[in-house]
Amino acid sequence: MGRHTVALALLGVGTATLLLAAFALVLLPGPYLRLHALSPAAALGAPLVALALAVDTGPGRGAAKLLVIGLLLAAGGTIATMAVARTTVRAEREAKR
Amino acid sequence: MNAWLLTAALLAVGAIGPCLLLGLRGAAEQRLAALNLAATVTAVVLLLLAQGFSRSSYTDLALDLAVLAPAGTLVFTRFLAGRER
Repeated sequence: MGRHTVALALLGVGTATLLLAAFALVLLPGPYLRLHALSPAAALGAPLVALALAVDTGPGRGAAKLLVIGLLLAAGGTIATMAVARTTVRAEREAKR
Repeated sequence: MNAWLLTAALLAVGAIGPCLLLGLRGAAEQRLAALNLAATVTAVVLLLLAQGFSRSSYTDLALDLAVLAPAGTLVFTRFLAGRER
């Protein structure tokens, strides 16, 4: 199996995850359920696409940079998702009062 | 057109589109969630465009967005927390 084939397989899985997350964001009812759409995109979809690009680029500085971007997207997206969740919880509590 | 550019086009329409749809209406927290997802997908689209056009220096845009977008979201959450107090 060639490097390009592996990259395309990873790209397919990553893209499917991102598309699924986007549609879930629109289709899931309620603010808490919608939050579940955010983390798969940041923690799985974006790093998989970055990994696909790194595999296609081949060993070297370019691939390392792509992997760092993937890790940054995973870490930053997760932290931002936690912050959005906290704000949502606070807003829902305020609405109930 | 190669697979990278095709995927970038697919994500730009199929993933950023729904995020815009949700990000332009509804409660502020809901819009923030859509903005968060849109930032992640945009960074991925920029990476794919860099690969598709074979310009590795363009990945700097995605790197900048990966650093700045979560910071922007955190700032917005602070603003929303301030509004509710």
